[in-house]
Amino acid sequence: MASSPGPLPPAEITRRLQARFGEDLLEASVALGQAVVRVTPERYRELVGTLRDDAEFACDFLDFVSAVDRGEDGMEVVVQLWSTSRRHQVRVKVAAGTDEPRARSISDLYPGANWHERETWELFGIDFEGHPQLVKLLLPEQFEGHPLRKDFALTTRLAKPWPGEETTGEGPE
Amino acid sequence: MGLIERTPLVNLQPVKFLLNWGRKYSLWVMNFGLACCAIELIATSTSKHDFIRLGVIPFAHGPRQADLLVVAGTVTDKMAPALKRVYDQIPDPKYTISFGSCSNCGGPYWDSYSVTKGVDQIIPVDVYVPGCPPRPEALLHGIIKLQEKIAHEDIREKWSGKLTGAPAPS
Repeated sequence: MASSPGPLPPAEITRRLQARFGEDLLEASVALGQAVVRVTPERYRELVGTLRDDAEFACDFLDFVSAVDRGEDGMEVVVQLWSTSRRHQVRVKVAAGTDEPRARSISDLYPGANWHERETWELFGIDFEGHPQLVKLLLPEQFEGHPLRKDFALTTRLAKPWPGEETTGEGPE
Repeated sequence: MGLIERTPLVNLQPVKFLLNWGRKYSLWVMNFGLACCAIELIATSTSKHDFIRLGVIPFAHGPRQADLLVVAGTVTDKMAPALKRVYDQIPDPKYTISFGSCSNCGGPYWDSYSVTKGVDQIIPVDVYVPGCPPRPEALLHGIIKLQEKIAHEDIREKWSGKLTGAPAPS
């Protein structure tokens, strides 16, 4: 069996990305055994492209694109990348802003991102610039609003409040 | 107008009994399985629980052959029009069993943005089987309850379709 280089340690991934992106890498940490980086919107596509094309990262597989509603801090797009050859993964986060949140599309870099971005667009209302076909994927056509936003009103909950304990949303970092 | 409507025979108790007896042990079931409850429905059709011994025949190839619709699983608002369409295609007399908490009332998805809270908002329901998911025995019990209901029916009223029409829009 041909030997392929093993996985890069998460700390090594963040170190190498920091060396390349410097100030534009707003945050780099190791969480739950994987590298997590936050990048400026300007160099988001460049970072994803680097992770895909550069042989030392070789992230050839896009696991998912999703988002987090951080309330007053705005929306955040989360991308998970995986290297099938080196067997390591990287999580990329990028701020999308508060009013009319937007992010650059990476569906030309990873065709698999197409549907993930459509889903994130309809559920969070984040506009993906450069996406070829931003139309509803899962929601019914007549559906109004973005149901995974924190300010989306669940009509059932208005009639009957949540009977259990409030979930605070605090989890392991 | 068919024979049933024209003849006074069905007013006679023995005739009424016989017709209902025949109908209640001949229910060709339409599988509308949408989630984990569908597995329990299928399990009820297989050899161990075997609802064919109650005269429930698995499974109609399409709604136009079916007598009984079992909605087993989570109906979403997006799926609801398809369910309505399937129900409308079933010829009278027809019966519906709502199987499991999701189709009864939304179940664990009671506050979801996408789930229909109760299939009875879309179509009339004859028997509700509770559980998440209910065991096959529960469905067998529900079928027996439905058969008790059929046994006491006025066949002409049922045939008219008035009982199975869409619920009036509120």
